[in-house]
Amino acid sequence: MQQTTTTPAPAATPAKPKPPAPPPELQEGAIATMDGAGLMGILQNSGSSEFQKAKACVRLGELGVKEAVPLLAALLADEHLNAYARYGLEPIADPAADEALRAALGKLKGNLLVGVINSIGKRRDAKASQALIRLMRGPDPEAARAAAAALGNIGGPASAKELTAALPKASGALKLAVADAALICAERLLAEGQRDQALALYATLSGPDTPKPARLAAMSGIIREETSTSRPR
Amino acid sequence: MQSALAPMIVPSVVLGQRAGHVAPSDRILFGGIGIGGRGAHVLSKLLKLPETKFIAICDVRNERRETIKSTVDQNYGDRDCRMYDDQFELLARQDIDAVLIATGDRWHTPLSIIAAQHGKDVYCEKPCSMSIEESWALADAFRRYNRLYQAGCQRRSGANFALCKELLNAGALGKLQTLYANVGPSVNWPPIPSRDWLAGEDPPPKQVLDWDRWLGPAHWRPYHPSYVRGGWRNYYDFHGGGILEWGSHTVDLCHWAAGYDHTQPVEYEPVGGNTGPYAVNCKYADGVKLVMRDNGWEGALHTGSCSFRIEGDLGWVETGDRTTIACSDNIRPLLRPTEPASLALENHVKEFVRCIRTRQQPSASAAAAANSHVACHAAFIAFQRGKTLTWDPARSEFTNDDVANRMRARSLREPWRI
Repeated sequence: MQQTTTTPAPAATPAKPKPPAPPPELQEGAIATMDGAGLMGILQNSGSSEFQKAKACVRLGELGVKEAVPLLAALLADEHLNAYARYGLEPIADPAADEALRAALGKLKGNLLVGVINSIGKRRDAKASQALIRLMRGPDPEAARAAAAALGNIGGPASAKELTAALPKASGALKLAVADAALICAERLLAEGQRDQALALYATLSGPDTPKPARLAAMSGIIREETSTSRPR
Repeated sequence: MQSALAPMIVPSVVLGQRAGHVAPSDRILFGGIGIGGRGAHVLSKLLKLPETKFIAICDVRNERRETIKSTVDQNYGDRDCRMYDDQFELLARQDIDAVLIATGDRWHTPLSIIAAQHGKDVYCEKPCSMSIEESWALADAFRRYNRLYQAGCQRRSGANFALCKELLNAGALGKLQTLYANVGPSVNWPPIPSRDWLAGEDPPPKQVLDWDRWLGPAHWRPYHPSYVRGGWRNYYDFHGGGILEWGSHTVDLCHWAAGYDHTQPVEYEPVGGNTGPYAVNCKYADGVKLVMRDNGWEGALHTGSCSFRIEGDLGWVETGDRTTIACSDNIRPLLRPTEPASLALENHVKEFVRCIRTRQQPSASAAAAANSHVACHAAFIAFQRGKTLTWDPARSEFTNDDVANRMRARSLREPWRI
């Protein structure tokens, strides 16, 4: 005999609400597979939407289309598209991208300027050093911090000298940024075989004027370097 | 005065001498940034530890700040937890030793690096980075500042996973042949997230949610409430796709078990499409294979989510969040009961706290996390490129595809940088 059950059937689990779908005009679609010419066409077309331009910038960067540099540079002043334009410019291995970013330094302010400084630092464009030094010494605190970071990333004895000079004059968040940049600069010097200069920079940063986290980092740097078995004595 | 001559009795609690009690001055002080559902789970483990005190919460969402403060204050029976909407204010506090970061993925690397620059040790939820470039920047910063970092890869502290590693290391499985890392099922997280946008809506007032700060280093897009409610996953600007979603746990487990915490595979072959099962077949320089595969939520052997498998020439083991260990017949006599899965997170948090005391790097250090995350990012890029990519770990670059090399980094929205 078949056993009957009095246990009620479990209530159906309520269906999870479907996530909202992007509308057709905000879907990347064909942009994802366009070639450089097609993508540049989007940036040249005054009727292209902000979304289309954003997607074109990213894909141009991934394809590394150097002919697109002027079109990307023209978007650096756009509040919403600045980061997209830099996403396009940063990976393009052509001096034109450096020149475009350098040229934008004198035209932008606020966060847009900071974004461009960050991209210059990432590309390690030594030709921008003089402009960066001016910005580090300038009145805009965000730009000054970004410029210090960029100089540290660019590295070399010239950056080391400027960061060392800036450290005692800086205060608050700028001091932290200068010290951090100097630590990175020291690592760059080490990587480039300029051990004496790197250790001298660490020694400077080990002084009482350096914010404590960076001071301890500099001391660690000296210990790490002096006890390294992989480096020549 | 008589009272001056009376023996002074100081409660042992004040001196920290009663079992389980720690003198207030000896406590490790924590702050937290971006503590939502997952972060609250980690926080619940932290709050149990008498040697720590959680004293500050920062969030761009007002309601979350207040929820965490309420939880923390209720736990300690005081009102000491301070609220911040600016992470720099929290990090500037000299009394805070360590921070718990459980924001959305886009914030993990920049915030962790900023915390290190402020001298803090960091426990950060996974995935730890959004790109290959961020992975290395993270490892570099924690080495530079000599700070401790524990990635939220808590399965490294799970007994069932540890037993599998032990069996491999003891030689019971023979010579290592293939590692299997189950990655995010495509039905939950496709390997390639969408680059689309949702239709914009009016953002709430800044005091309720600061949309600009919520976006942080991610590129600008119009506000939509779905992103903020967790719908940010599966969007490229915020998410690394299904490979990174689980691979940050399971590829990490493979690296940990096999002693590959210092390297990455040299070849990545994508198999399958963005819907349905997919895999990336990888190979290390020593010939060992790593298969990152979508094997469903539970895995084919029902060992549970986030499972991994080790195959040697003498035997194999496979385990996941159900903690049961599937294995070849010859390995079965070597198995022993393991702990419940829930203890993995508790062990992981405790390990971090213990390391803060001893200044030893925790098991899921920034360097270890960087290596496993780079493997996931490289696989993700291979999947997007739809071709087999070869990788040089020493130079950290692909050797056969310029586009792939340009995808190693993502620019951060101003003013953020790493």
